[in-house]
Amino acid sequence: MRHVAVTGLHKAFGSHRVLTGVDLEVPTGSLTAILGPSGSGKTTLLRLLAGFERADAGTITIGDVVVEGPAVYVAPERRRIGYVPQEGSLFPHLTVGANVGFGLGAKERRRGKVDSMLEAVGLGGFGRRYPHQLSGGQQQRVALARALAIEPTVVLLDEPFASLDAHLRASVRADVQEIFRRAGTTAVLVTHDQDEALSVADRVAALRDGKIVQYAAPEELYSRPADAKLAGFVGDANLLDGVLAGGEVKTLLGSLPVDPAAAAALEASQGDEVTVLIRPEQIDLGPIDLVGEDGITARVISYDYYGHDAVVHLRPEHHADGRAIIARVVGTPAPAGSRVTLRTRGPVFAWPKGSLAEG
Amino acid sequence: MNDTAVSVPQAARAVAGPPPRRARRPVTLLTLSWLVAAVLALPLVFLLIEARGAGAADVARLIFRPLTASLLWNTIRLTVVVTLACAVIGTAAAWCVERTDLPGRRAWAVLVVVPLAIPDFVVGFGWNSLWTWAHGFFGAVIVMTLAVYPLVYLPVAASLRSADPGQEEVARSLGSARVRTFARITLGQAKGAIAGGCLLVALAVLAEYGAFEIVGYQTFTTEIFSEFNGYSFAASCALSLVLVLLSLLVLAGEGMLRSRGRVSRSGPMVQRISPPQRLGRARWPVLGLFAALVLLALGVPVAAAAYWMASGLPPALSGGANVSLLDAAGHTAAYGGSAAALATVMAIPVAMLAIRHGSRMRHFLERSTYLVLGMPGVVIAFALSYFTERYAAGFGYGSSLLLIVCYAIMFFPLALVGVKASLARAPVSLDDVARSLGRGRLEVLCRVTLRLAGPGLVAAFCLVFLSAVTELTATLLLIPTGTQTLATQFWSYESNLAYSQAAPFALVMIVVAAVPSYVLGRFFTRSAHAQG
Repeated sequence: MRHVAVTGLHKAFGSHRVLTGVDLEVPTGSLTAILGPSGSGKTTLLRLLAGFERADAGTITIGDVVVEGPAVYVAPERRRIGYVPQEGSLFPHLTVGANVGFGLGAKERRRGKVDSMLEAVGLGGFGRRYPHQLSGGQQQRVALARALAIEPTVVLLDEPFASLDAHLRASVRADVQEIFRRAGTTAVLVTHDQDEALSVADRVAALRDGKIVQYAAPEELYSRPADAKLAGFVGDANLLDGVLAGGEVKTLLGSLPVDPAAAAALEASQGDEVTVLIRPEQIDLGPIDLVGEDGITARVISYDYYGHDAVVHLRPEHHADGRAIIARVVGTPAPAGSRVTLRTRGPVFAWPKGSLAEG
Repeated sequence: MNDTAVSVPQAARAVAGPPPRRARRPVTLLTLSWLVAAVLALPLVFLLIEARGAGAADVARLIFRPLTASLLWNTIRLTVVVTLACAVIGTAAAWCVERTDLPGRRAWAVLVVVPLAIPDFVVGFGWNSLWTWAHGFFGAVIVMTLAVYPLVYLPVAASLRSADPGQEEVARSLGSARVRTFARITLGQAKGAIAGGCLLVALAVLAEYGAFEIVGYQTFTTEIFSEFNGYSFAASCALSLVLVLLSLLVLAGEGMLRSRGRVSRSGPMVQRISPPQRLGRARWPVLGLFAALVLLALGVPVAAAAYWMASGLPPALSGGANVSLLDAAGHTAAYGGSAAALATVMAIPVAMLAIRHGSRMRHFLERSTYLVLGMPGVVIAFALSYFTERYAAGFGYGSSLLLIVCYAIMFFPLALVGVKASLARAPVSLDDVARSLGRGRLEVLCRVTLRLAGPGLVAAFCLVFLSAVTELTATLLLIPTGTQTLATQFWSYESNLAYSQAAPFALVMIVVAAVPSYVLGRFFTRSAHAQG
């Protein structure tokens, strides 16, 4: 069942075209992330959903109600959307309780709705405090309780975790996910952080130049991105040239099996040059004495050590002009200058060379 | 829906597509702002109408005569000297208070600003009534410098407080000596603030009447005033045009300076306390200079008023024909309060438009405020009073309404500064949240925006009130017959050399003006810290 539906949405500010035909359907009870670099129009899309801006063309349906369309415009206060802006934006002159009760009628407030909402976000007993007495994570949760209190049809979150410290971010993110899951909330979240989008959302809509280039589950988006540019945006990527031959593709890392979905789309490109995506974690490094017949060897240039894993920069041998490639390894990597063997685990994804997906 | 790519929508292909829906425009705000801009433009429009009425040939003849040249020389040399003196004193004092280990910095920070609350003509009275040598050009320079140097001090101190002291440290670490660091980094950081302060000083000198009348120095403003009182309207009109042109030139100059160098700050906006510069052996001389400054700017006028009051009879016993202090204070408060309320209300829509909407409108409206800044009070008052008498069939002429409107126009830029600062504390995102929670626009304005902006609106009110209380020129021209304010009553005593009777009015004005200045000082210091 669809819950929020957007079709053909256009928006320009003066001559600057921000959204150029966005289509999106958010199923009931799911969390959709809108992922895009800054300036891609993701916040504008959210503000159009909330009704703070008017669209130039297109329709928006929330629940069964058309809230934006030709000759239709429903004011934000009549849309029943829960809105959580970037900084939480609690009313500084009101207590936590009054903040949560802001959208409620007197009857609901008396029936203890405020307290139960605060309970739900794990802040029971905080009602009499003022926003400035809370930590950033607590403020964010109050903002969430305030949005959920009006029992919204959909909750809209604008970069809700960006202002939190790194160590808080993961825990608040998990809390929010849990609160949504329990309440069966439909939510749309805007973010520029691909890790956040992939880890938190059921489905991710990648926005680029005012269009949605791909709308898919996180795993799908990561392993089968619509084009090479998007592949680089959603994670570290080795983008290599290759030639398609049957169900395999020849690259400087050897012949690799092609993902069936990609193979079907590339049917017409047999024998042509294609761009191949190899994620760094698909490459295993081995000691040089294990080099086999088709073994590919490389020299370690340097590595970035992160503790839980490390990213190794390598230059394949026998390919003097070859670009450096990166591999993700667990544990302590081999020192710079040492020689290693490479083994790539397929299948890999590929596109016709130079192709760009259109939204 | 397809999982991977979404097809290109029809609307993007069809070149024209459906006709674009009109974006939601702040129609109410726009209408109100245009109305306000129209009111602000009235004095200039009136002045031009009057100039046409007087005849172009006549006006030209009145402009191109030797008197204009001598007024021009008098006005310009005074403006230049006072502005330079204020720039040096204000900047040096601000640097000492904000960046050095000067003993008693907190106390000095207050004492150095208080002279702003003392009306310029009271400073003039203080000096001239005690020492007859405080006269002419020399007297005018002393009096004006001491009366208005805080206009440079305040913005420079604020900018030094919020500027990144790390830049000074970096400069020192790169091998730049202390003096060079001060010249290149510190002054560079404060450049915009110094220019802004100098602009205010120059405009104040151009608009001043009372102090120059007392020390017997003739400028455009004093001449316009006496021509008007002598019913030579064409002459005041001609001179007003020159004066407005002069003020606009000053404004344009400052605008050019400002657009050339923008001071930006890199890195996160964190307030960092860096250790103050050590004054070392210079400490005692600097302390002495501060004491002298406060003594001259604050001590002399207050002491003079106290001296004359002590040497005369108490005012209540000195005759029945005199207006009582209470009466005059009541009128002052009523006029000042109404004008402050009017100016603040007028500033709200303009400030909201400027802060929350497009930059082109902001640009336009800021320009329209500049127009008022460039109109000295005497010109605004003259334009309003002559126009209502001559062209509007006496509508509003000689009524307190006209005086209040005149104040509101004169001090609108001040109100706008305060209201803008206060609305900046109520971010739009809060409005968005409130509306998404089901509250209508008017309710949001009352429950969220104005509630948060409240303290700042009080500050804006105080700023205008303070200025109206100490205003003399326009008040003298527009006050309803038979009514007296503190300023006008002081003036009539002072003109008759009844110093002991004038003195209590001066003291009351100082006290009345000091309270709002204190409130203001606190508000702007706090908001500077909050934004810091």
